[in-house]
Amino acid sequence: MGEKNDIIIGIDLGTTNSLVAFADEAGPHLIAGENGPDDVIVPSVLGFDEAGVLKTIGVEAREHAVEQPTTTIHSVKRLMGRGFADVAQEAAALPYRVERRDESGERDIASIIVGERSFTPPELSALILRDLKQRAETHFGRSITKTVITVPAQFDDAQRQATRDAGQIAGLEVVRIVNEPTAAALAYGLDRKEDATIAVYDLGGGTFDISILRLEDGVFEVLATNGDTHLGGDDFDNALISLFASEIRDQFGIEITSPTIKQQLRTLSENIKKRLSDDDEAQIQIAIGNDKVYEKTITRDDFEKMIDPFVARTLDACSRAMKTAGLTQSEINQVVLVGGSTRVPYVRRRVGEVFDTKPYTALNPEHVVAMGAGVQAAILSGIERDVLLLDVTPLSLGIETLGGAMGKLIPANVKIPCQASETFTTFKDGQTNIKINVLQGERELADDCRSLGVFELGGIPPMPAGLPKIDVTFLIDQNGILSVSAKEQRSGKAASIQIIPSHGLTRDEVKRMEQEAITHAREDMAAHHLIDVRTTLEFDLNKVEGMLDRYETQFTVNETTDFSKRISELRSFARSCDDATTINERREAFNQSTLPLAERAMTAALSGSIASTDGDDDRAPEKH
Amino acid sequence: MSERAISLPVKCLSCHEELSTPIVCDGCHTLYPVPQSADFFDLLSIGRTFHLDEGLLARAYRSIARQIHPDRFGGDSIEAGNLSTRLSAQVNQAFATLRDPVKRAAYILEIAGGPSAAEVREVPGALLGEVMMLREEIEQAQAKGDDAAIARHRGAIAKRRDETLEEIAGRADGLWEASDEDKKGFRVLLNSIKYFDNLLTELAVNPLAANQDH
Repeated sequence: MGEKNDIIIGIDLGTTNSLVAFADEAGPHLIAGENGPDDVIVPSVLGFDEAGVLKTIGVEAREHAVEQPTTTIHSVKRLMGRGFADVAQEAAALPYRVERRDESGERDIASIIVGERSFTPPELSALILRDLKQRAETHFGRSITKTVITVPAQFDDAQRQATRDAGQIAGLEVVRIVNEPTAAALAYGLDRKEDATIAVYDLGGGTFDISILRLEDGVFEVLATNGDTHLGGDDFDNALISLFASEIRDQFGIEITSPTIKQQLRTLSENIKKRLSDDDEAQIQIAIGNDKVYEKTITRDDFEKMIDPFVARTLDACSRAMKTAGLTQSEINQVVLVGGSTRVPYVRRRVGEVFDTKPYTALNPEHVVAMGAGVQAAILSGIERDVLLLDVTPLSLGIETLGGAMGKLIPANVKIPCQASETFTTFKDGQTNIKINVLQGERELADDCRSLGVFELGGIPPMPAGLPKIDVTFLIDQNGILSVSAKEQRSGKAASIQIIPSHGLTRDEVKRMEQEAITHAREDMAAHHLIDVRTTLEFDLNKVEGMLDRYETQFTVNETTDFSKRISELRSFARSCDDATTINERREAFNQSTLPLAERAMTAALSGSIASTDGDDDRAPEKH
Repeated sequence: MSERAISLPVKCLSCHEELSTPIVCDGCHTLYPVPQSADFFDLLSIGRTFHLDEGLLARAYRSIARQIHPDRFGGDSIEAGNLSTRLSAQVNQAFATLRDPVKRAAYILEIAGGPSAAEVREVPGALLGEVMMLREEIEQAQAKGDDAAIARHRGAIAKRRDETLEEIAGRADGLWEASDEDKKGFRVLLNSIKYFDNLLTELAVNPLAANQDH
């Protein structure tokens, strides 16, 4: 895995916000951006232009969400490792376009269309990761190539793979994937030396996790985990949005279809949710055109009733996790709250009731996961030697058996790494390959579980049916990621395995995307540069035009005609030329040629032979 | 069985320290693949008995997990990383098996050469009739919503299970020298635990249980 003294960073790649951290002997630290020490949160939002060229990331991109709803991409994490069929319903609520990418015919990968470009979720997440990587590189003053990334504990194999692929596309080796609640426990647990049993309640924008851990002799042992990858603060927002939308429909007979108003409703709903954490009521007003205004007052009580079904689902998961861990509420010493949605007072109150203890919130719930990722990075680089994390697999792993049932090989909540073996045989004479559909989930039928992919065992020597015996080993590693190996019993020969991921990318595709990301970054930069150069040229041309106009009397008719002609030539040249350097050379040459004229104009202005100018602006043009 | 020879690299091949477990050197952290002859007790360096100290087992597990976990080999070669992943998977399986009394008993039967559940499927003769009668009574109680009767049944079944487990505990350490007939009898006892567990699951009228799907 390379040299021991490589810096490893820790990244919390969130649905709503992302952060980067590291840890040293003094403990975990968040890495801030250029706007001062408080600038630690990068909203997981990407701003593109109409052509699909990336323009902005983070705070700036989020600000454009209302004006540019179809090219402002957020909540990518919800699509990671998913097929379009999985997300079609929620994709309908997203202001941007989501489609099915189906290159091999058997796979279904949800992809996002921006302008002329189509992106897979790992490619988009990679853009955020690259931004965080650059942050860390600026901080350390050296290149960073290794990272720990956190994921919801309930993420399945495909979602974890997608996260690792995103890292690779961004030029980062993901040395470890850590479950978010476990990371939070790491961040909390470092300064507490005594043994304890803690519950981590992690309610983010799009996912919910509950993990119960035992902390003993510096070992963090996860006893049970439960949750829901489609439950979070976004559901609170959506409840408000659908209330407003249906009232607008009833009052004004207007169906909200415009992406701009949809995004506006979303922003307003988020703000209301936040205000109701402090205030007892909040009002909104939305101008919906034709001088019509929708007004509404929401009390905290109303809001709590609306979100109760979602909160109740999280509490059910808490009870299941306690049952799996074999613990009652009185045996849990501490409850830690993680994720922005735990700022909602109703959530805090209900969690406190279920565990019969006041939730512990010493650390910022939006920072704590990244800090834990930093701690795990320090463990891996050998800086932190006293702590060890023993996590579990969140979902049962199995294979599709004859008749379409799910045959469990590894149950949920088993410590990772873990492995299981199964022997397969042929059922036709001379059969030389066997297909195995590998599943994850808790349901009885294969169709109700998630298919991770079809594993094809090949190279079986032709024999009568039932004679070949192929031992297949399924290994779930410390990242919760599956690998499969197979051996024919008689020959002891390793059987070949080809994996067709159901919703994931192949190794070759990830490599290609990694290359493309570098090329795209260059192209994007070039495109960006071209726009800058054209803007600068236009600015200069306008200035000269203004001068020709204002100091008309100082120039001969020939000069004026000549320059006007050259200006319009240069304008049309800039439109047709895609090479920023050439445009810039022409611009500079043109500026040189105008210098004598400018001098004469300047002299005229100073001698007062002409009315003073109205503050001609000499500053450099604003860059985007 | 407990005295059988174990072919360990008794001394570490790289630093020549004596090994306290067959898979890792305390001194220089060199990892070794699990020897063919080593069983779960060897992996965790714990005495080969059913009556083990669970606190001691947990401490032994944590101590070994600390030394072999892939996190400890983050900066090392891919080979060391892969070996540590495989070893950790095996040690985790050993701990999960030995920690649970029923799994522990079944494992001792397995390494003592006794029959598996697939080879001997029978349960004690009287149990089938008993279970059938119980099932009928439970169904009646559930139909009537007689919670007191259900609780009584649950208590009675749990008690029968505990008694069976006690009998298993009493006989487990004798398995090394036991006759084939005794080993088969032990398997039959283990099979009956499954019946009790199934009944208890059916009785768990916990509404959450029905919702456990993700």
